[in-house]
Amino acid sequence: MNLTSEEVNEIALESRLLLTEQELAGAVKYINSFLDALQCFKELDLKDVEPFSFAEAIECPLREDKVIPFPDNEAILHESEHVDGSYFKVPRIMEE
Amino acid sequence: MAELTFTPVIGIEIHIRLKSDSKLFCSCSTDTDAPANTNICPVCMGLPGTLPVLNHHVVEQGMLAGFAMNCGIRPKSLFFRKSYFYPDLPKGHQISQCDLPITTAGYIEVHDADGNLKKIRVHHMHLEEDVGSLHHSASDGRLEGADTSYVDYNRSGTPLAEIVSEPDVSSAAEAVEYVMTLRRRVIYSGASDVELEKGMMRFDANVSMKCSDGRWGHKVEVKNMNSFKALERAIEYEIKRQKKIMLQGGDVIQETRHWNDAKGITSSSRVKENYRKFIVEPDLPPLYISQEWIDRVAARMPEMPDVRANRYVNDWGVPREVADVLTDDKNLADYFEACVAAGANPVRASHWVRTEVLRVLNEKGQKISAFTVKPETLAGIVARVDGGTLSTTQGREVFDKVCAEGIGIDDAVKSLGITEGGVAGNALADIVASVIAANPDVLDEIKSGKDKKGKKLKFLQGLVMKESKGQAKPQEVAEAVAEAVK
Amino acid sequence: MELYELNLWMLMEGLKAGKFSASEIFTSCKKRIDQCEGEIHALITRTDDTPQSAKEGVLSGIPTIIKDNLCTKGIRTTAASRILGNWRPPYDATAWTRLKDAGAVLMGKANMDEFAMGNTCGNSAFGPTRNPNDTSLVPGGSSGGSAAAVSAGYVPFSLGSDTGGSIRQPASYCGVYGLKPTYGMVSRYGLISYGSSLDQIGPFARTVRDLQIVMSVISGHDKMDSSSFRDKPHDFTHNEKPSIKGKKVAVVKEFSGFTLDAPIADAMKRVQKVLADEGAIITEVSLPVVSKYAVACYYALAMSEAHTNLERYDGVRLGYTVKDARGIKEMFERVRSYGFGAEVKARIIAGTCLTEPTRCEEYYVAATKVRTLIAQEFTRAFGETDYILQPVTPSMPGRVGESDDDAMKGYEADLYTLPVNLAGLPGLSFFTGYAGGLPVGLQLIGPRWSDSELLDAGIILENHLGGPRIANGGVK
Repeated sequence: MNLTSEEVNEIALESRLLLTEQELAGAVKYINSFLDALQCFKELDLKDVEPFSFAEAIECPLREDKVIPFPDNEAILHESEHVDGSYFKVPRIMEE
Repeated sequence: MAELTFTPVIGIEIHIRLKSDSKLFCSCSTDTDAPANTNICPVCMGLPGTLPVLNHHVVEQGMLAGFAMNCGIRPKSLFFRKSYFYPDLPKGHQISQCDLPITTAGYIEVHDADGNLKKIRVHHMHLEEDVGSLHHSASDGRLEGADTSYVDYNRSGTPLAEIVSEPDVSSAAEAVEYVMTLRRRVIYSGASDVELEKGMMRFDANVSMKCSDGRWGHKVEVKNMNSFKALERAIEYEIKRQKKIMLQGGDVIQETRHWNDAKGITSSSRVKENYRKFIVEPDLPPLYISQEWIDRVAARMPEMPDVRANRYVNDWGVPREVADVLTDDKNLADYFEACVAAGANPVRASHWVRTEVLRVLNEKGQKISAFTVKPETLAGIVARVDGGTLSTTQGREVFDKVCAEGIGIDDAVKSLGITEGGVAGNALADIVASVIAANPDVLDEIKSGKDKKGKKLKFLQGLVMKESKGQAKPQEVAEAVAEAVK
Repeated sequence: MELYELNLWMLMEGLKAGKFSASEIFTSCKKRIDQCEGEIHALITRTDDTPQSAKEGVLSGIPTIIKDNLCTKGIRTTAASRILGNWRPPYDATAWTRLKDAGAVLMGKANMDEFAMGNTCGNSAFGPTRNPNDTSLVPGGSSGGSAAAVSAGYVPFSLGSDTGGSIRQPASYCGVYGLKPTYGMVSRYGLISYGSSLDQIGPFARTVRDLQIVMSVISGHDKMDSSSFRDKPHDFTHNEKPSIKGKKVAVVKEFSGFTLDAPIADAMKRVQKVLADEGAIITEVSLPVVSKYAVACYYALAMSEAHTNLERYDGVRLGYTVKDARGIKEMFERVRSYGFGAEVKARIIAGTCLTEPTRCEEYYVAATKVRTLIAQEFTRAFGETDYILQPVTPSMPGRVGESDDDAMKGYEADLYTLPVNLAGLPGLSFFTGYAGGLPVGLQLIGPRWSDSELLDAGIILENHLGGPRIANGGVK
């Protein structure tokens, strides 16, 4: 079952990646050899196997509902080139 | 040819903000009214290297909300990553329990078109994180046409419950009753205040139409409804639109449509929705909830509004209509019950709360939680009216005075110049009026001039005296009755 | 002897005895870095911490280097990717906080393969790191910079991260000791994620005892990491004379048919003999599922997790961005297309592909089930043996710039390391000696939470085989 370059390109766009022709050719080859390698799973009987979640039983730890403000939200804002005032300004969301 | 009939098949997805001090996975405040981007931290901003830590209280809030819709709690639930790219979603994926939720199925009861009770099945409720909020630069503040948008991440990571119904809803009216009932019950549970004006409840609806000729239209997902009214109008619009297409023999396209509240229409969303299978959130181990924990939280679950209303009717004789009004707002019902606990007669107290308290709250634009008259005080007024030391009118005057000036009952009585225990003035007039109203034949006799010896007049005076429990002056009673029969 | 040549524990003892000062150590290490860095390029960012600002603690005044996927407050952190730009995290990774609180002095952020994806350290937006033993060769990856820095004597110890061998393989190539701890032992908070369920932070050093010292500082529960375990053993007290007498050390039956480079095959024999001489019982275990399916399983899961971990890089909140995009989609596409390197993009696309609804059951879900079988297989194996001895890689390091055209073939070289991550086990990469001037490493694996026993066994091996010397290949 081989993916065409159109299909791979579609997946790339879904991941917000624009590929050059050369990159796309590489990606097609890469993905198809990868999917081939995964065909080996079919040799195993996985019907009654539980999906792995953690290497040993562990419960989700729970935190007390207590507000601890982050002391330096300015340091977070400082890292973005899109900050305008106290907001993050982004270009048009709805496609034309 | 028989006329075609259509049955709408509607499923509803609701997002409700759960009440907590801190966010779902970090310790930032959930105050979304704070100045933009002040309640943010590395975790809810999805900064590289950060990891989520689950809020204990939100898990309990989720359990309470689940109980409110008659759901069971799953002993083991999981978190997943739901991927999509959008500027208000910092990690590019939302952490959500979508595939193995905290609750099992439940239901909410509504009335169908014939007035019969009908169950709308809740498929499940799950916990997930909210996204940031967007403000658009377009003049009307809308997304369409906006060249730039502004993101505030204060809301990012605040806890949500998503409630997914089965497609059991058959009309816009049922949909509205479903969401209103559900909202009321969730507020009762304490899981959320569900303040609609703060956007704490948002709706999506899946609408399709079944035609009597056997055709079944495709499902359309309608998004972006933020009020009961919008939900109702959007569903009505969509039913009409789909019916029209099917009547013309067309096909309803399976798609996502956006409700435009200003225009009152739904329009096809041009954004392609990519359905993605969710991967397990590797940063959060499974959430285990023991039976012991479930029991502990269930014990905190308050009486639901319908049960409460039934109790008022059956145990206390409160009229159904009044009971429904009182239990619509949990705090109002709590207030009413506090009055009863303070010794007020339940039926009388129910009327007082229903009419007087709600009137004052309305006038002041206040919520019951901010009401300054203590239930004990209201109970005191009700008791005095009940005992006859105040007439109904006097009681109302005293209540208004207490509300307006925040003084005690005795001070209000004094400042109104009411001689308590001496039934006079309006109180006396009330009694006279009610006595006369109860004896129309006697009144007729007097008016026709048959009561030459004044015996009938005396009879009425006697009744008034008895009603006033002997607290009125005979002279005043005679005058009042004489005046009333003229 | 120069101070930079001293091991961690020697520096600590010397400082304590007043033989030299923290400033002298700092100056010596700084000089060493100046001397070699032009050739080796182990660092992405050099920092200007000084011993004067160091806190009081067990590591007071000890210079260190950490991999550049560990967040350092106010210090550029790149994960060797263009997409992070000049990002200065507003917070510290827990492992770094613990080192800093113990008094460590940061000399720099180490080079790596972008987002830890690679095993050569050649896949960095900042150019490749070279092996200090022979600069024409790769140092291994992805924590190549951290391994090279310790090997060349920049610092006595460093931190790396290991998702499928990224500590153990470069440790072996560079000739240092490296521990990939039990999953859940060291907090991942502040580690820029690759495959979250596989990632673990661990130390590099030139002696096993030094690893013990670092582990005692960085290990232990952290409430910021929900996958970090409470109440688990993490006592790394140094034992002068540990014993392996009567313990079983197994080799994997299925691996016996695989080809190894001669020095590695020799080392396997030599080490078995050393262990047997020490009273260990050499035995064999069978890991049929591991040997056949681990590579596919690993890459399926790592990529499925990685593509979601990398969704956050959109140019809005931090790092590289564009300011003239006409729409948000264009902005995301341009930022991600330019910001990510080729290997990262390939893995994102693969991960997205595997988790598409049409393929999810067949690949992603199937891989999670295969992982269960692999973990079970190890549990069974550790019912039969105390340790498993195996190579780190089948071959000696390749040349810088050489790349294998067939990606999957390159991935198969990770067969010996990545099953350890799939099962959440600890793995020690240890030095066995030199062959033709190049260090040769092997790997000892134990059951979960046996990290300190592994290090005890490492002490025995180090005592018999000798430790590595400082690599001088970078000296001009």
